[in-house]
Amino acid sequence: MPDRVLHTPRRSVGKSLLLTLPILLWSLLMFSRTMMEPGRAPKLAAGVTLVFMVALFFQMMRTLETHRWRRYFFVALGFLFPVGFIWQLFALRGSMSIPVERMISGDTPFCFLAIPMMILPAAIAKTVIFPGSILPTTSNPHAIAAMVAIWLAATLVLGKGWCSYGCFFGGIEEGFGAIPKKPRIRRIDPRWRWMPWAVLAAIVLLSAATLEPVYCMWLCPFKAVTEYPAVRSFETAVQMGVFITLFLGLVVVLPLLTKKRTQCSFLCPFGAFQSIFNKTGAFDIRIDQSKCTPCVLCEKACPTMSITPEAVRSGQPLMSCMKCGACVDACVRDAVVWHIKGTDSGASSERARLMHLYSAWAFAVMFGGSIIAGTLEKIFGVLA
Amino acid sequence: MKRLRSILGNSGAVLTLALAALTPFLLYGWFQSAIGAAHLRIDPTYSGGEISHVIERQGYRIVVNRPVPRRSPLQRIGPFVQITWTPADRLPASLSDEVDLDGDGVPDVRVAIDTQNLVVDVTPLSARYRPMHSRGVTSFSALIARVKDGIVVRIPIG
Amino acid sequence: MALTGLMTEALLLGVSSGPVCLASCSPVLVPVLAAEQRSPRGTGALLAQFLGGRLAGYLVFACIAWLLGLSLHFQPRDQALIYGLADLGLAIFLGGYALAMRARPAASCDQPCPAARARLFAHRYRSFASVILGFVSGLTLCPPFVAAGVRAAESGGLAHALLFFLWFFFGTSVWFAPSVGLGMLRRFAAVGVVARLTLFLLAGYYGYLALIVLGRVFFHA
Repeated sequence: MPDRVLHTPRRSVGKSLLLTLPILLWSLLMFSRTMMEPGRAPKLAAGVTLVFMVALFFQMMRTLETHRWRRYFFVALGFLFPVGFIWQLFALRGSMSIPVERMISGDTPFCFLAIPMMILPAAIAKTVIFPGSILPTTSNPHAIAAMVAIWLAATLVLGKGWCSYGCFFGGIEEGFGAIPKKPRIRRIDPRWRWMPWAVLAAIVLLSAATLEPVYCMWLCPFKAVTEYPAVRSFETAVQMGVFITLFLGLVVVLPLLTKKRTQCSFLCPFGAFQSIFNKTGAFDIRIDQSKCTPCVLCEKACPTMSITPEAVRSGQPLMSCMKCGACVDACVRDAVVWHIKGTDSGASSERARLMHLYSAWAFAVMFGGSIIAGTLEKIFGVLA
Repeated sequence: MKRLRSILGNSGAVLTLALAALTPFLLYGWFQSAIGAAHLRIDPTYSGGEISHVIERQGYRIVVNRPVPRRSPLQRIGPFVQITWTPADRLPASLSDEVDLDGDGVPDVRVAIDTQNLVVDVTPLSARYRPMHSRGVTSFSALIARVKDGIVVRIPIG
Repeated sequence: MALTGLMTEALLLGVSSGPVCLASCSPVLVPVLAAEQRSPRGTGALLAQFLGGRLAGYLVFACIAWLLGLSLHFQPRDQALIYGLADLGLAIFLGGYALAMRARPAASCDQPCPAARARLFAHRYRSFASVILGFVSGLTLCPPFVAAGVRAAESGGLAHALLFFLWFFFGTSVWFAPSVGLGMLRRFAAVGVVARLTLFLLAGYYGYLALIVLGRVFFHA
């Protein structure tokens, strides 16, 4: 058992409130439109979401921890997004299956997971291989331009932090992974970490060759909790079987057994794609060799196996790091710290954390917060 | 050099903060406009292709799209041509039309539609098109469906 | 002069069809070249084997085109059968190729033990498989290819048809030349790991497609 530095620093309530004030003002701005909508449900939903997001940020300031409080938001987003989405589907057409009519009319909402597959055909033939619409319409506000614009902005602000603050699916497995106290499976072959890159290569090449969104058609586990082609043939039955198997296996069962985000670590091609943008972000995590023992607490805490002995020796996590903050919070020797690229490692790590959190939480309130509020509005509308 | 890197790094951090604040007010709109201005189009296998010509009938119109070819050997959706009868609310319960698909003035197919039950019978008048009897959606390249204000028929080619 | 015109026409048709050919061959070609992790020269040699197989596929099709004359209008069932068999071939060879990547021939082995023989077979299989993969990739029925086939059939004798397809092949191959650059990624060991995993995934995808397509041909005819 390593020496534990008894170390539970806290910031004063006053200072924490002061630091939370910008987020409070930002949240008021972001939810003001919803609060002005007629009826009690939107006001209540906006109010609850605002209090939730501000309270979590306050706790991040007060406890100097990031991961635990971020996770509450992320799990809420992961579970409430499918609830709201499925609710809307049943209200519109009474079913989760996508009718072909909806695809032909361009009303399929665009999902960011399809972005890597769209790039080559769009660049070469100016054609978007997705049954949606380019610009938002009254029947399809979630058009391609809208979703890609959000993704572009998120990538500039967060890099791969999208996977910790933006992805509205990742919270599902993070929630299941948080349930058990200890993992049942501790040893995972690290070579599985390369699978998302292989999936990315395969779907990009196949989508360019077949002019079909191959991942959406064959491999996306989140089809099980959103929309899917109606099961009318052997082919669509197998597709549905694959979606459900991958969802149950990688999003529910394996996170329960390993306490890791196994879908993100071993399948998600979008996560692999987004890893590239870790090179462009302003913030990263550094490991101070002079303080590291190594006790491997950070390695055990990392939900995506981005900290390995080699990564510790090199002084930073692998490029699959999602900037969730679990490793920083787990380290008892302050060896793992937040860092602004270009500056000295270890210098003003709390300043780096604050600047990262303000950016990330501003985005989270704007994007994830609006999704949470939208679903709560539906729920309160029924209960009221 | 170290100082310059530090200044650049801190500037990047501040810029990130600014970008996050500007996202809902500026960035989102800019990016959306930029993508809209890129002249991208939805793949014709989904959109049905561009409109070729419109045939006027008594009380309704027949919108004929350009044929959508197979553009890749691995593409599973076969070539087709899409025709739309609109407005759907003003169509008779059953109709039969001879439709010129390639704009040369000579009808290429005879299409009989039961608009209530969405059943279509296509009799080719030219060797280029295949006969079709479809109730609802058979495949992406052979179907009859009610789409917004029209009844869409896709006829396979070749 | 007529011959020059035929060659020019074939070359230009090939160049204009090249992007489609490259896109349809890339799922097979790119992971194979990346997995081998050879130098640009070695990658070029492997590319040449693949293209050689592809040329053989084209020339076989040229012979068929000439023999059938103008009747290149394949019935949907026949098209589906060709696609299904090509998919099955790709699945088997891609999967075998990925497995063979793990086997390296023993540096020295005093006795020809079964393990050493298996490793040697796997090593030889890899050279042979790239040619087969090229051949199967060449047996496509894409519109430019069929157009080339019709033109070849119209061009006169078998020699003309073969010449037409040869120059069509050269035209499409121009677009494949930059793939030699994949050899520069050989210093990243992870690229080889990812490429091998991609081969397994693609083998699964083509195998499943073959099942669906051939199932439709034999059970829904």
